[in-house]
Amino acid sequence: MMKLQPYGDSALLVSFEKRIDPAISQQVIALHKALKDHAGITFSIPAYQSLTLGFNSTYLNYNGLEKLVKATFDQLDEITTNSGRKVTIPVCYDDTYAPDMSEVTGLTGCSKQEIVQLHTSHEYHVYMLGFVAGFAYMGTLPEALKSPRKETPRLKVHQGAVGLAGLQTGIYPAEAPGGWQIIGTTPMKMFDPEKEKPNFLEAGDKVKFRAISEDEYKIIQLKIETEIFEPEISNG
Amino acid sequence: MAEELRLHFKKAGFFTSIQDFGRFGQQDIGIPISGAMDKESMQMANYLVGNSDDTPVIEITLLGPEIEIEGNGQIAFAGAQFAGKLNKSPLPLFETIEVKTGDTIKLKGTSAGCRIFLAAGGKTTEPAWLGSHSAPSDYVKHTGMVSHFSDGDTLTFHPHKPIEKRIIDEAKRPIYTSCTILRVVTGPDFEQFELEVIQEFFEKTFSISSDSNRMGYRLNETLAQYKAKGEEISSGVIPGTVQITGSGKPIILTADAQTTGGYPRITNVVTEDLDLVGQMKPGDELRFMLVSLEDIN
Repeated sequence: MMKLQPYGDSALLVSFEKRIDPAISQQVIALHKALKDHAGITFSIPAYQSLTLGFNSTYLNYNGLEKLVKATFDQLDEITTNSGRKVTIPVCYDDTYAPDMSEVTGLTGCSKQEIVQLHTSHEYHVYMLGFVAGFAYMGTLPEALKSPRKETPRLKVHQGAVGLAGLQTGIYPAEAPGGWQIIGTTPMKMFDPEKEKPNFLEAGDKVKFRAISEDEYKIIQLKIETEIFEPEISNG
Repeated sequence: MAEELRLHFKKAGFFTSIQDFGRFGQQDIGIPISGAMDKESMQMANYLVGNSDDTPVIEITLLGPEIEIEGNGQIAFAGAQFAGKLNKSPLPLFETIEVKTGDTIKLKGTSAGCRIFLAAGGKTTEPAWLGSHSAPSDYVKHTGMVSHFSDGDTLTFHPHKPIEKRIIDEAKRPIYTSCTILRVVTGPDFEQFELEVIQEFFEKTFSISSDSNRMGYRLNETLAQYKAKGEEISSGVIPGTVQITGSGKPIILTADAQTTGGYPRITNVVTEDLDLVGQMKPGDELRFMLVSLEDIN
């Protein structure tokens, strides 16, 4: 069930059922990818169950865009809807890289080993990017890892911090304030403004985390600095 | 060697940044649109020096900078009613100004409006990023571009051929008041608000909080009847979106707004009136007036 409505005088909001569900998100992302570069569309913001499309009224009006969205949606097939990259992200879960690990063991009743095992054994879907440029909202965490946000958000969370919030997991692409529970750190750059495509992750990616030692963290960091690091990506 | 016009910011002022029409098409990776908070004034400043409408300009907020000129060129100011000096004389606004090495410009405060735009005839040597010169907001953390100027920064332009002096007619200059009526259309979540809350929203006179910036304008008053219905699923937000926070206070999102948000979206300010929002300053008052999309097209 797709609902279309005007959103201000130069955008249109497409929304689906109000729940967080990878299947709904896949439809949003497929629609986003099909429309993002269409003439007259100024921006496209995929979110959990909605897509915000900006339009330039010189080229496109609301009614024209509504027709375009409906026609595009009808043409989406199973294959395009389910395509997405598979990405592996190395994370060091050692104490100095995981300032909230002990709080999370208290909140979840899981041991540190169990938390790492659970976090690395699931594949996560990237629902959307937002909050800070390049910040990917991923889910769904196994129920056993469900953790509330910190009561008092930190003024500074470090770059690369891997956090939990509710049933979601995410990575801070840059130092920013935030209330997510930090259980590890990745040496990878989630956002590099020097690149033509600055974001490493995009909506629709499937992400797995791989636990690494502090030594491996430092080696990867060195490889990134010398630009010889090859991220693990496959097209699913 | 091509001639250069340099603006040395001896003092940067309260918040001075480079802006153009904004950075479009990057919102899916969480990059805000940004761009001038008052595009009409930005275009006026560009017109006065013979630039195209979309040429990057310098946006000056509340308390102006002190600038020393190096080189020859033309500049112009358009926007809020700032008082200022060009050397020892009053600074003329809304007209082409010839400047030369050694000239100094001191902008003070504003008596009406919040932002003034400074254009220099020609092109800046600053690099663009992802299709725009607009300063990325603090949350984008682009190392190569500054979010706003600091004391001692310099901005360089390659001036184009001087144009004949232009002046904007007194009658055609914008007028800013301390109480504005903003036209809004219903937002995507309008239907989920109780009738009493909607009435209160349109009957109340709101004032701008001092906690406002280029990301959003917070309003001081609370919608007393509003009760938050728990956490919403985050969805796209755009400049002009009016959200109601959990405590019942509205926020008008502006140029540097984040790309997604979770507060219910009661209305959207019509694009044309967003320039008025950019000229409101803390303490100014506003009311919302509901219009239909047909009214504004």
